[in-house]
Amino acid sequence: MTSQNRRSFFKTLFAGAAAVAVSGAGTLAGRAEAAPASAIDGVCLYAPGVGTARRFVEAMRESAPGEWSVQPLSGSLTDCYFQAALLFEDARRGKTNTFVGVLDQASFGVVHEAILDRGGRFHYVTHEGRDRVTFSVEV
Amino acid sequence: MSSFVALPKGVSEETFARAIREYRALLGEGRVRTDPASLQSYMKIMIPESEELHKPSAAIYPNTVQEIQKIVAIANRYKTPLWTVSTGKNMGYGTAAPATRGQIVLDLKTMNRIVHVDEELGYCLVEPGVTYYDLQQHFRKNRMNLWVDVPAPSAMASPVGNTADRGVGYTPYGEHFLFSCGMEVVLANGDVIRTGTGGLQNSTSWQTNKWGNGPYVDGLFTQSNLGIITKLGVWLMKGPPPGGYFPFLMKFPRVEMLADIIKTLMPLRMNQVIPNACIVVNAGWEAAGYFTYDKNGKGTNRDTFYKGKDSLPPKVFQQIMDKYDVGAWNFYAALYGSPEQVALNWKYVSGAFKARFGKEVRIITEKEAKDDPIFEYRRQLMMGGSTLQEFGLYNWRGGGGSMWFAPVAAARPSECDQQMKVATDILNKYGFDYVAEFIVGWRDMHHIIDLLYDRTQPEEMKRAYRCFDELLTVFTKNGYGTYRTNTAFMDQVSRSYGEGMRDIHHKLKRALDPNNILAPGKSGISL
Repeated sequence: MTSQNRRSFFKTLFAGAAAVAVSGAGTLAGRAEAAPASAIDGVCLYAPGVGTARRFVEAMRESAPGEWSVQPLSGSLTDCYFQAALLFEDARRGKTNTFVGVLDQASFGVVHEAILDRGGRFHYVTHEGRDRVTFSVEV
Repeated sequence: MSSFVALPKGVSEETFARAIREYRALLGEGRVRTDPASLQSYMKIMIPESEELHKPSAAIYPNTVQEIQKIVAIANRYKTPLWTVSTGKNMGYGTAAPATRGQIVLDLKTMNRIVHVDEELGYCLVEPGVTYYDLQQHFRKNRMNLWVDVPAPSAMASPVGNTADRGVGYTPYGEHFLFSCGMEVVLANGDVIRTGTGGLQNSTSWQTNKWGNGPYVDGLFTQSNLGIITKLGVWLMKGPPPGGYFPFLMKFPRVEMLADIIKTLMPLRMNQVIPNACIVVNAGWEAAGYFTYDKNGKGTNRDTFYKGKDSLPPKVFQQIMDKYDVGAWNFYAALYGSPEQVALNWKYVSGAFKARFGKEVRIITEKEAKDDPIFEYRRQLMMGGSTLQEFGLYNWRGGGGSMWFAPVAAARPSECDQQMKVATDILNKYGFDYVAEFIVGWRDMHHIIDLLYDRTQPEEMKRAYRCFDELLTVFTKNGYGTYRTNTAFMDQVSRSYGEGMRDIHHKLKRALDPNNILAPGKSGISL
C-alpha cells in the first residue's frame, strides 16, 4: 500500500472510529454523533505488519485530533491475547476513552476474543480485504 | 418490525417478550441481554453462511444450577430454545452462534468455579466457564505437578465445552471424553442428575470411576442436545520428573511418504513407546504458522508466493517448503517418563524411523530447534500448555473464513494416504489448498483439514460451501465418517450415519426434551 493510500485509509477509519467510540452511546457505527475532538484520549492497537507507529500517530492526529497512543502487539498470539485484555481493562478503568485497532486476521482473531471475554462490545468490525481488520471498541 | 434481533421459530414477538420478562424477573436485567451489542459474541461466524441464519434472540447468564433449572422451566413454558455454550470458542465448527436463528444463547461462562482438584489421584471437577488456562494457573498457584490435556486454542477454551464436543488434544490424555469422569447434567424437565457413581449419596469415587452401575449414559450428553452439563470431572496427568519430557520433530520431504510414516509410527504408538496423541502435519499447515513481517511491514503469507486465485501449484508448495524449511510432512511426538526410560525409548523411535527412511528423515529435538516458534507451539501442546498459535492459520489465506473438515481414518497407511489424495483433489478443484494434520489416536486418526477461505468475497463463500459439501459426500461414500462438524453441516453429517442412528437420537430427544427446547439442530437433532 502506498503512503497516500494508507493516509486516506486512516483518515476514513479514525474519523469514524473516534467519533463513534467517544460518543459512548453503545451504538453501531454511523449512528453515533461525533464528540468534540478534544475529548479523544485514545489507544490504537496495531499489528506491526500494517504500518509503523509513526505513521499511525500522524494519521490519527490529523484525522481525529486528540491524545493518541499507539500500541503494537508483539510476541506470540497467546501474548497478543493477554496484552489486548490488559489494555482493554486499562481503558475501562479510565486510562483512555477510545479504543481502536488495525490488525491482521490472526491477531484480530485473538484480540476479538480477549475483548469479548472481558465483557467488551464492538462499535464495528470491518474486514478491509483479505488481510486487514479494523475495529472500534466501546469503552 | 421486531424490537428483537431475532425471534425463535414459531414464537411471536409478544410471547417472546413475555418470556424475556420472566427470565429478567429470575436473573435481573444485566444477565438477560437482547440488545445487538451484547449479542455480538454470538454473531461472529467463520462458516460460509449468512450471519442472519444464526442470529440469536438473546443471551442469558446463569450463575447456579438452580437458576438453570428455573431457566429450562421458562423455556418449556414459552418454547424458547436454549443454545448452550461454555466459553463459546468452537472456532471453525460454528463458534458460539446457534445452529438456527432465534435461539437464546445460554452462556455458562459465568459459572467458572474450579470445584475441586485432587492432586493425589490427578483429577478435577470444574464448571463450564473454567478455561484450560484457569486450570493451569490454579496448578501453578498451588504448586501442583499436574498437566491437563488441551485442544489447540487452549488459553480461552473450556474443558467442559471441548469434552462435550468430543475434542482432542496432544498429550497421552489426548482423547478428552475418554479421560473425563463423571458429569452433572440439568435435563430439559429441570431434573439434575450426576452420572457414574455421582448418584450415590456422599460418593467418594465420582471422579475416579467412570461407570457406576447399569447403562453408561455420559455419551448421551456429548455432541448432543439432551441435557446441559453443569459440572465435569477431568483426569489430569502427573507431570514427569525433570528430564522426563522429550518432544521431537521429524521432517519428511515428499507427500508420497505419508503411508510409510504411518506404517512406522503406529506400532510405536500402539505399544505405547510413543504414548501421546502425536501429529503428522502437512506443509501448508506448518508454513502458515511461520507468518512473519518483513522489514517493510509486509506480512508473509500465501499471497507472497502465489497471486493466482486457484490452489497452490505443487511447484509453489515446494518453494514454500524451501523458504520455511518445513517438510511435506512434519511429525511431532513426545516421550514421557523417567530420563532413563525416555533415553531408551528414543533409541527405539529414532532407530525405527532411520531404518525406514535413512537420510530422507530429518530429526529435530529441543536442542536443535532452539527458539523455533512452531516447535515451541507443539512442545507446549504436547505438555498441556496454553497457546493460541493456531490462530496463525487465519493469516495464511486471509478473509476470516475457516471450516474444519474433520473425518476420521482407521490408522492404516493406505487409508490415510487415500484420504489425503481425495481431500487434496476436491479442495484443489474448488481452488483451495490442502492444509491438514493427522492427530494420531489409539486406533484412528483425526484427519483435521482447515478449509480456509475469504468470507469477504460472496463468490468464494459459495465455493467454500460447495467444496465442503463435496468433501462430505465423497468421504461418506468411501465409508469415512466425520467426527465433528460445524453448524452449517450438522444435519448432513447426521444423515451420513444412517437412519437407524438418527431414529434413536430422535427417540431420545422426544423422551428427554419433548418441547425441543435444548439446542435444536445440534448434531442434526431437532423435533
